[in-house]
Amino acid sequence: MTAPRHAPEPQRSRTVPEARRESATVPPVVDQIAGVAQVQTVRGIAEARELAPKDLEIRLQADASSRLPVLVCYSAAAVWLIVGSLFGELASLKLHWPDLLTREGWLTFGRIRTAHLNAVNYGWGSLAMIGTSLWLMPRLVHAELRRPRLAAMGAVLWNIGLLLGVGGILVGVSDGMEWLEMSRWFADPWLVVGGGMIGVALFSTVAARKAEHLYVSVWYIMSAFLWFPMLFILGNWPTWSGVESGAVNWLFAHNVLGFWLTAVSVGVAYYFIPKVLGRPIYSYQLSILGFWTFAFFYALNGMHHLVGGPLPTWMITTSVTASVLMFIPVVATAINLHMTVVGRFGALRYSPTLRFVVLGAMGYTAVSLQGSFTALREVNRITHFTHWTIAHSHVGVYGFVTFIMFGAMYYVVPRLVGHEWPSAALIRWHFGLVVAGIAIYVVALTWAGVAQGLALLDPGLPFQASVERTRYGLMGRSLGGLLMTAGHVVFAWHFWLMLRGRQPAGARPPFHEARPILYTEAAADVVATSRSHAGSAP
Amino acid sequence: MIPSSLAVILATLALGVFALSAFIVAWWRGHFRNLDAQARVIFEPRDLRFARPWETPAQRREREATYGALLPGRRGEWGGAA
Repeated sequence: MTAPRHAPEPQRSRTVPEARRESATVPPVVDQIAGVAQVQTVRGIAEARELAPKDLEIRLQADASSRLPVLVCYSAAAVWLIVGSLFGELASLKLHWPDLLTREGWLTFGRIRTAHLNAVNYGWGSLAMIGTSLWLMPRLVHAELRRPRLAAMGAVLWNIGLLLGVGGILVGVSDGMEWLEMSRWFADPWLVVGGGMIGVALFSTVAARKAEHLYVSVWYIMSAFLWFPMLFILGNWPTWSGVESGAVNWLFAHNVLGFWLTAVSVGVAYYFIPKVLGRPIYSYQLSILGFWTFAFFYALNGMHHLVGGPLPTWMITTSVTASVLMFIPVVATAINLHMTVVGRFGALRYSPTLRFVVLGAMGYTAVSLQGSFTALREVNRITHFTHWTIAHSHVGVYGFVTFIMFGAMYYVVPRLVGHEWPSAALIRWHFGLVVAGIAIYVVALTWAGVAQGLALLDPGLPFQASVERTRYGLMGRSLGGLLMTAGHVVFAWHFWLMLRGRQPAGARPPFHEARPILYTEAAADVVATSRSHAGSAP
Repeated sequence: MIPSSLAVILATLALGVFALSAFIVAWWRGHFRNLDAQARVIFEPRDLRFARPWETPAQRREREATYGALLPGRRGEWGGAA
């Protein structure tokens, strides 16, 4: 008899002293012998019956400890999502409707587009990730969040910095480096101090951990909270100039995608997919391989944005090579997450969290493989300086990061406010609008980017031809953006209803009308069927 | 060319050394031992015994055989309030 692949012994995470006592009496090799699976199962059931209340208490205490800072982060993130989306939509419209709102300086494309980028990345994305990390870390290390008020205050300072930074951009104050436009003198210091306070809360929580083992999500999240401040301070250092400034700019801009947005989001996906499905990750070894290869290879990637630029060829080639090496962590993560879900895709009908997170994980695979190919010189010579790059970045920051954050918030917020989301219909509208929006956006803009790149390479065509060929793609971009913005308004309104205490009408679970997304009578049938099977099972 | 790229080379090296140092420390402290237990640290026993309405009869039997009698899933367990 062999042990089922996805049926390990249920084992609560133990405190360090407990684990040491146990390891002294149970030889580790026993765990490796499939023949003892039955023994493990019996022991596991006994543990489950005896220890569940204590574990539940630890979890509830962990959730309660992080409530304040997480809600501060999520509330601000929802506001920045709406603000950033409106800026983005307006910037998109201006690309095919250039006379729109041109009288006011703060409404010009250069400021609105930059404000969009900073609002969605440092406002929505970063704050949603910080909130999710603050909620997740106490659960992962089985300890209460330390210094929650400090973390909440840090989030407030972060928002003050953002207000000053984005406001500064709108009035014309910019540092002029992509992803680093907010003033390094009056905006960025707020983010550094605020982020540092949040980091203190997170690291002191990990230092006070009661769980012996560090789950892979801890590695991703803690690394991100170390990498990001290093990169942010490096990128904003005021002494860079000339070529060096451009190189540092893209070292920061690409690594903030990887070492900040990607690291936290992959860590979050590694938590929610197994958690909702109720089965361990397909291969934990693969997840460890994925994390460490990601940590080693990603730092070199940024220079592929400067193919053809005034930098040593060996440096660009090294970056292209590292970009191709990213296949290893990406494929490891993709296989792992996919194989965890495989055979259970029906679960996506039941859980909005799983639906968003699984789609986000697919987005990660797509954007990473696309990025590796785009780094190749043969592809880059067509796609560089075209709308392809914008489509690619939206697959990453939206189809991957934002989807995972939506999924996380659908799971976390009810556990913080103590009741279910009020409306299944609003969740369905949100999901439908944002999925349709990003699909239209990416397809239209990718096509426009390729057409633009080919036209730019054709010496027989005037520059104007490359602009005209993108027109319908840009309209598609605006349509996609409009749908996404509408989805964000639905989501923010729903989130507001949650905070106001609105609860689902009636006793029926909100997803009942479509499918039994949450627990329904169908689940009761499952239990009854299962018990009858168990009675006849050998 | 090297002087004008020195900052980015040093920064990249620093990130690499940071990752390598973290890996060595993690190895030294035994974080790569007992990976199976690490994979299960996110679950409470209760999690694994909940009946999942999307699972096939075979998957439910496997869950029950491994983790014990199934518990009825609670409202909101799959993405809502617990």
